Formats: sequence, structure tokens, C-alpha cells
Amino acid sequence: MKVDRRTFLAGSLGLAAGAATTALLAKPKYHVIRRRARSRVAILSAGSYSENLEQILRHGLELFHLDIRGKPVLLKPNLVDYVPGNHINTHPLLVSAAAECFHRLGAKTVLVGEGPGHQRDTELVLIESGFADQLRQQRVPFVDLNRDELVERPLLANYTGMKSFWLPRTIVESDFVVSMPKVKAHHWSGVTLSMKNMFGVVPGAKYGWPKNILHWKGIQESILDICATVPVHFVIADAIVAMEGNGPLNGDARPLNRIILADDPVAADATCARLMGFDPDRIVHIRAGAQFLGNCSTSRIDQLAEPVCLPEMPFQTVPEFEYLRVNNHLDGLT
Amino acid sequence: MYDPQRAKHLCSEQLIARQLPQGGWPFNSNAKQSAVEPTALALLALSSNSVRERDAAIRFLLHIQNPNGSWPAFVGDDGEGSGFTGLVLYVLNCCGVGGKADDRAIRWLLHSRGWESHWLWKWKFRTTDRHVRFDPDKFGWPWMPETVSWVVPTSYSLLALKNCIPGSQEDLLQFRIRRGVEMLYDRTCPQGGWNAGNGVVYGRPLAPHPDATAIALLALRGEPANHLVTASLDWLERRAQVCSAPWSLAWTILALNAFRRATQPLINRLTAVVQSDEINDGATLAVVSMALTCASGLNAFGVHS
Repeated sequence: MKVDRRTFLAGSLGLAAGAATTALLAKPKYHVIRRRARSRVAILSAGSYSENLEQILRHGLELFHLDIRGKPVLLKPNLVDYVPGNHINTHPLLVSAAAECFHRLGAKTVLVGEGPGHQRDTELVLIESGFADQLRQQRVPFVDLNRDELVERPLLANYTGMKSFWLPRTIVESDFVVSMPKVKAHHWSGVTLSMKNMFGVVPGAKYGWPKNILHWKGIQESILDICATVPVHFVIADAIVAMEGNGPLNGDARPLNRIILADDPVAADATCARLMGFDPDRIVHIRAGAQFLGNCSTSRIDQLAEPVCLPEMPFQTVPEFEYLRVNNHLDGLT
Repeated sequence: MYDPQRAKHLCSEQLIARQLPQGGWPFNSNAKQSAVEPTALALLALSSNSVRERDAAIRFLLHIQNPNGSWPAFVGDDGEGSGFTGLVLYVLNCCGVGGKADDRAIRWLLHSRGWESHWLWKWKFRTTDRHVRFDPDKFGWPWMPETVSWVVPTSYSLLALKNCIPGSQEDLLQFRIRRGVEMLYDRTCPQGGWNAGNGVVYGRPLAPHPDATAIALLALRGEPANHLVTASLDWLERRAQVCSAPWSLAWTILALNAFRRATQPLINRLTAVVQSDEINDGATLAVVSMALTCASGLNAFGVHS
């Protein structure tokens, strides 16, 4: 077998990642177990953002029989920055459709909240990405989580070595948090999906722009600590147009024409990873999260609506994460 | 017809109404937790007629100063120090407050530095971690301890140190100012301007942000003219043509005015924004208030046109 330099490099990185995962998994560092016996994931078709997303979502949500009557619901989209032409953020029309659906399901309140990690002017991102108009039309309030009142909470996992996080009061007081990521490859973490999306609840007013401490403590470790401490109750992932390559800002658009719904963030992210042509077991925070935050294995996931359809060609990544990509014919997927 | 003076008056009234009993301001108008950035900006924005409010704000800021001389980000924060320390020191100096609090803050700022200045991390960024284009020899100030330098805390710190009276550590002060200025130049985006501090990542340029660009330009005022400053001012002028977000627009006006570029159309636009919608965020309200003052020839960042 001929091994070229690229394959060798990818293999070495895979081994290094495997070692890192093993190190993370070696000793349980969590004080909470959110993983249930089984999880449910629904893959919904949506050809474009101009389709009737509310109807698609409503049908999808019916599969889960959610009881959110009387609960305050927080929708947490992925708003990073606005670069014309780049599919960086969760689409405002999808967030708007979700808000309408949760209102119809009897939520006490529906808020949208986000704390962008790069851009300090959240209102600028809201205005230029079309969110501001959309939310105003629907009278859905928005909370800038970077500048919310802060409450200190002990971490329910200890992968970063930090003891506590200051968190926005809005997050702490939400009974039902819906992570709404944009499905993207990410140059620091491999992927940014529903779990990585929760970086946005860490307030910039305390941790800065970007939230650099999370990088120094380890991105994968930080994802685990945040998701252990701030439960994600539901996921609506925007993969109508996803991003491959040098995400989260400078990647290329990759239409998948799908919306992924799940009652478990690990199951959601594992499924999204499969749709991207990645092996979820090679993604450190998904694999470690499968110990206590949710289910990664397809044997523990009830697949609703459409089946997982592997792409002809896995998503492009930066070289450091090429080991995530599965060669469908050789590797297979679990 | 929009009137900047009337809009400014409106902002001042709202600022005064939102001051919390202990003297600080929150970010969110409904919140009860004072934060340092809106408080410092509000103090700078209030006119000298608001004696009672200004005195209360000064007392509040002095009261919450950390024992190590830094300022926390908000009431209840740990005592390690935040990237807003430079802003508070600058504002207190503008208000004529000096003394021990001032000395302690300067001492803290002189010894606070981005982690890239440490030999081990410098080595890391030179060898194994080279995806963000920057020179770790050129360092400034971080948002919080044990992290690297970023544009906004570095700019706030430069504003403070350039305006303070040098004490016994004059050489160190000049060294930190020089390094901080070099760091800002090193972190410019290829098209001019600044974002948080990552100009090029994985070989691809990232877009600058209006607010970070404006704050960096204010910190660089007084430095010899050069093409990076000119390119950044040009970019900011172009960007402002399509910007209606009050925080970014207000910082843009303050910076362009400080560099004697035209701002009247931007002030008119900001006036329209203020009169059409209430600004919920306290820090934004304060910066908008300062930007509207530029219409009468005053700039809170030390420039009188």
C-alpha cells in the first residue's frame, strides 16, 4: 500500500486525535448524566429557504410530541458575523419559523438569544443578516447574551479545570433551550454543530471577544463543560445550506437541503456529522459527550422522517481535520 | 427634521434615568447588575452639569476597583482584572481623578500582558500554531488574564497609558505603549481596519469591524501618519455608508471626527436612529450620546474640532 505524505499526515492527526480522545475518556469528569436510553432524530427535507419552513418544522416537531406548554423557550441560533454572500449564520427564516412553531405549541414565551464570539456589535449582525427585521415583524424579543446580567454557576463537568462559569441570567432561567446551529466545518474544532453552538452562551462581557479562555482551556473540553452545565433540550440544525472547508467564517457553501431535529444534542451532532461524511467517533467532543450527554451510536438513535444519507463526497475541511472524513467505500459508518 | 442636540439631550436623560442606586450602569436597561464598560462610557458621556450622577459614578468605580489595581468586568466578578481596566483609568483621568487608585491601575496595566509575550507561547505560535497571522513579539493586553492580546483591550489600555502622568516606571510605560502600538499595526486586516484581532486565518483575510477599527484608531491618535492608519480610516468611511447599527455608527463618528474627517451625514443618520427607536443597551446609549456631541464640535476622546 502506497502511503503519500498527505495520507501519512492525515493518519498521524487521526492517531493524535484518537490519543486525545482516549485521554479525555480515560477518567469520567462529569457530575451529571443526561444520556437517555434512546434518542430521537428527524431529518427533514427542505429544498431552499423560500419553502414553507414553518410547515416543514411543524410536521417535524409533531414527531417528537413535545410538551412545552407554559414553558419559557430560548432559541439559540448561531450568529457569528455578517459577511455578504457567506452562509455563516443560522438562517433568520428558519429561526422565525421555529419561533412560530413553539408559540403554537403553547410556550409561555419564546426568546431568541445569542452572544457572538467575534463581533462585539451584535445589533450590527442582527440588522445586516436580516434577523432584526424578521424578529421585529414577529415581535420575538432578542437577548444579547454577551451583555446580559450574569449569574455564577458551578460546572457540572470538569474537562477544562475551571470550577464555574458566569452565565447569562436568560439562559439560566430558560426551561427549554433549543440549540439552532448552522451545520459547518470549523477550522479549530472540526465541526460546529449543536454542542459547539453553545459557546454563544458564554458571555463576552466577562470572557471577551473572542472568548479566548475557552480556546486556552481546550475547545473540545470547553464544549463538554458548557453542555454539561447548560442543558440543550432540543436541536434544530440548519443544513439547508451548510458550510465546508475553512469554517466558521470563510468556508464554502454546501447545500444539504436538510433540517435536523433531535431531542439530544449528541445524537443531533452525530447525525449531522454523518450527513457531512464525517465519522462522529473521531470528533472528540461527540465521542466524549456520548458517555454522559447523549447518544452517538446509531443503535441508540430512533431515526424519524428520512434516513441518514451519506454524501457522495465528504465535506472539505482544513488539513488538520481531514481524518474526520470517511471514505464511504473503505471505512463504512457506525 | 432630526436635531442632534435634541437627540443628545434625550440620550442624556435616558442615561441619568438608568443609573443604578450604587452609581453604576447596567448593559441592559432592565438589569440591576452594574457593569464596568457602560459605567465608564456613561461617565464620559455625561456633561459636567450632571454633577451628582458623575460623582456617584466615580465613587462607584473607585469602590469596585480590585485590590490589585485592576477593574472587574461587572459587580460580583472575580478580582483578577478585566480588559476594561484601561477604559476606566482613561475615563477617571479625563474626570480629573488621580491619586492612589490611578497609580495602582497604572501599575497593573504595566504588568498585564497577552500570553503570547511569554517565551513558551511565543515558541508555540512560531512553530506549531501558525494558522493565525501575527507576530507574538508584538503584544498588548488581553480581555482576561492567561489569554492573548486583543485589539479592544489593547486600545483601551493605550488610551489610558498615553494620557497618564508618567511615574517612576517611565521606561516601562514607554515600552508598553510602543509594543501596544506595534501590536495594533501587526493585527490590521489586509484591507485596513481591525476586527477582534485576527486579520488573516488559514491564509484567508477576515473582515474588519467598525467598532474595533474606530477604537483602535482613537488609541493610535498622535502616532506618526502611515498607510495603515490611512487605509483604516478609508475603510471606516466606506463601511459607514451602509452602517445603521448605533454602537458601530457612534464609534465610527468619534474616530472619524478625531481624525478630522467628515461626519455630519453620519451624525444625521445616528440622530434619526436615536429618535426613531429607544436604545436598550447602556453602553451603546453612552457612546451614541458622545458621538452626537461631535455635532457641536466636542469629542469626548480628547479632540476639540
